[in-house]
Amino acid sequence: MFAAFLSGMALAMLAEDLILDHRNNRLEFSAPRTDFFAGSPMARLKNAAEVPFVIQTTLWSGNQHHVYRTAVDRFVVSFDIFEETYSVVKSEAPRKSASHLTAKAAQAWCLSQMSLDTTGLSGGEPLWARLEISAEDPPRDGSILGSVSDSGISLGSLIDFFSRTGGLQTHLKLDYPAFTLDQLKSTRGS
Amino acid sequence: MKLAFIFALAAGISLFGGASDSALPSEPAADGAQTNINARYIVEGVNLLGSETKALSRSLRAELKQVVGANLDSRRLEKLASRIKEELRVTGVKVHVAKGTMPGHVLVNFEVAKKPVDLKVAKFLYDSKGGWSGEASATTRAAGNSFTLGLVSDDDALVERDTGIRAKFERDNLGTDWLGMRFEFDDFHEMWNQSTVAEDPSGIYRSRQTFMPEARVFLAEPLEVDFGVRFARFRLSTPGAMTESSNAVVSTLRYHQRWGSGSDVQEQDLEGSYSLDAAMHLLQTDADYVRQTAQARYMFRHDRSRVEVSFMAGRTGGETPLFDRFVLGNASMLRGWSKFDLDPMGGSRVVYGSVDYSYRYYQVFYDTGAVWNLAPEREQKQSVGVGFKKEGFQLAVAFPVGAPRAIPVFFAGMNF
Repeated sequence: MFAAFLSGMALAMLAEDLILDHRNNRLEFSAPRTDFFAGSPMARLKNAAEVPFVIQTTLWSGNQHHVYRTAVDRFVVSFDIFEETYSVVKSEAPRKSASHLTAKAAQAWCLSQMSLDTTGLSGGEPLWARLEISAEDPPRDGSILGSVSDSGISLGSLIDFFSRTGGLQTHLKLDYPAFTLDQLKSTRGS
Repeated sequence: MKLAFIFALAAGISLFGGASDSALPSEPAADGAQTNINARYIVEGVNLLGSETKALSRSLRAELKQVVGANLDSRRLEKLASRIKEELRVTGVKVHVAKGTMPGHVLVNFEVAKKPVDLKVAKFLYDSKGGWSGEASATTRAAGNSFTLGLVSDDDALVERDTGIRAKFERDNLGTDWLGMRFEFDDFHEMWNQSTVAEDPSGIYRSRQTFMPEARVFLAEPLEVDFGVRFARFRLSTPGAMTESSNAVVSTLRYHQRWGSGSDVQEQDLEGSYSLDAAMHLLQTDADYVRQTAQARYMFRHDRSRVEVSFMAGRTGGETPLFDRFVLGNASMLRGWSKFDLDPMGGSRVVYGSVDYSYRYYQVFYDTGAVWNLAPEREQKQSVGVGFKKEGFQLAVAFPVGAPRAIPVFFAGMNF
């Protein structure tokens, strides 16, 4: 019992950014310390643009090569510039939405849609979990036209052009180290 | 794993497991429903900051007008920003949305991004007959003013090779969008081709400094006029010769209209200009002369096919210095001929026409023209060529038609 408590504590400390919970045969993900709206997505949101986020959750069982479950979904977030609240639309079926949320609540809502079914897993089976969140960049002009004008070619713009990344930038990957469902239960119990 | 992630995203499907019901309140969203909560707000007005609306094509201006009064559509605004960027040929255009003056209304500002300091290669050319030419500059901008300092070595535009510095100050807005100004200062050391030196050694000069203050007035939407004064001093190469001055009133009436832009299936662009430069004793010039030039260019593009027709005619009267004489047989006019074979001193009369056809990046062209001083010398020349052109970069080979020795000329470079 004490060993289970210690291992549960260790897990909680190691994976403090990613928190797992096991309820009703579903593995739920949360990351209350992580703000995935921060930075460029937030600037776009405050500018009345919608920002799509792609979230993937993955669960490996037995070893880190055997994917037991994974889920991918796309969440389109927008910020109401008058009411100063967030709205989210979940794109994949079943399509759902939530509105009048704070930033934290909007992020929590997105993650709450990403739980994984654990039916068939034994309590002592070693498991690994991962949460990946990417913000989709707005479509960019694919040419170097902006670098070239009648007055010449801008070296600064050329550097910007060749430094561009693709339209999808993975900006967050949270891993949860090896655990078992029994350990999660004991952590919650403690 | 990452591949599967991206594939699943592209295909829009969930792999294996599904998502659970939420503990937080949520409601079903209708398919096709707006994903941006701000789509319910109405656009009250649209502004273009950092550039002139009149620089945009008619179709784009019409599209910007259509945004006013419509519901906010952030994706449409991003597309419009991209078109503005393309038409203005700037490094970036940002969309800013702010609360409007009425409840439920928003203001949209398109902000043209200009780098405070920018390094630019204005021209770069290798010509198998003339050698290398190039111009590089650094520009800094502050409070609507731009200062440019550049290094130049150009053997293409004139019969001389100009090597030296070019400094410019520009302000597009002098209290009103309809009035701008610029100052340019050039300090060049000259190099000459042997055939020019052999023709008239007394006319060549070792160095030339030019100072040109100029104002730009937008008369009506497609029409603008530049006027100013150009003070030029040049030191003749003849031993014991004095420094000479060529001070002229310079003016250009310019017309530019375009229909459609790069993102439309069809695009047209029409430019025309008439320039009159008059060097007068009133400005303490050493030699009086008048130079007139008329130019026109029409471009029509349908999908990937593009036709461009250009025309130029000019004449000078009086004692025109070499830097103001007309040149054909360079990388932009009567390509394939050598300017030194046509007239090593440049001509006092010129007529030139050109037709370029391109499909995607591949181009073929036909040039014809004549440069002369006296009517009996006038002889029409022609050339043809093929090339590859992409966004200012060009690689071409041109053949002089009917030349005693039809040696092709290769061009490679940018903005020439």
